[in-house]
Amino acid sequence: MLGMDHLTNVLTAISHPTRRAIIGQLAIGPARFLDVAKPHDTALNAVTKHLKMLERAGLIERQKQGREVLISFRGEPLREVAGWVHEYERFWNERLDQFEKHFKQKRKKEKKR
Amino acid sequence: MNESRRTIEVKVERTIAASPGEVFDAWLDPKTPGNPWNMAEKLLMNPHVDGFFYWLIKGNSHYGRFTEVERPGRIQHTWMSRSTLGEETTVTVTFKKQGEDTVMTLVHSGIPDTDAGRGHEKGWNYFLDIFPEQFGKGSPKEK
Repeated sequence: MLGMDHLTNVLTAISHPTRRAIIGQLAIGPARFLDVAKPHDTALNAVTKHLKMLERAGLIERQKQGREVLISFRGEPLREVAGWVHEYERFWNERLDQFEKHFKQKRKKEKKR
Repeated sequence: MNESRRTIEVKVERTIAASPGEVFDAWLDPKTPGNPWNMAEKLLMNPHVDGFFYWLIKGNSHYGRFTEVERPGRIQHTWMSRSTLGEETTVTVTFKKQGEDTVMTLVHSGIPDTDAGRGHEKGWNYFLDIFPEQFGKGSPKEK
């Protein structure tokens, strides 16, 4: 089962649009650092920080090929995050959302009177 | 007995805009939207200690026995279904007063941790549904 710290790392990593864009780039194929940074209107050290967060979440890995370092995407943590949502988790969340909504509407109506 | 069988626990918490007594009663009233009994195709329920329930939903039978019914603070019952592989799981619901509201906590424990239960496809759909709302805008602290 996915540990909560790891889950937090993965969710944090995919919470930023730039990091999701980097995942999108790398999902097509491995790339060098400067190629990853090129499409983004942001400083190189900011890209480095984003890559560190993706690496901590296990969503990318670096491989040395001769003089170059290639960065590639790893999909496993995303599949683990998907598996973390159990059918009962979904079921009870849906039930309690509806239950909560019912009482909110009831209180609203009572306040209007 | 297979001692290596892994189980999981699901915990869900909501703040409900009513007193604990009202929320407690509504949770056991099949007419209230949001409790599981409300969506039953067939329901037999005796919400007292050692009372049983039979709950049919989308052709799936669920059975259980109430083990604790303490108004207005706590309800506990067992829960068996196809998804629990016939294992007896436990649902505990507690109601705590918070100002004018009630903090309601539901814990479903002892659920067999199976791939079918985790339903990757369903999980993805759920995840993607909440994704834009929860994570789509990114963390405000980061640039």
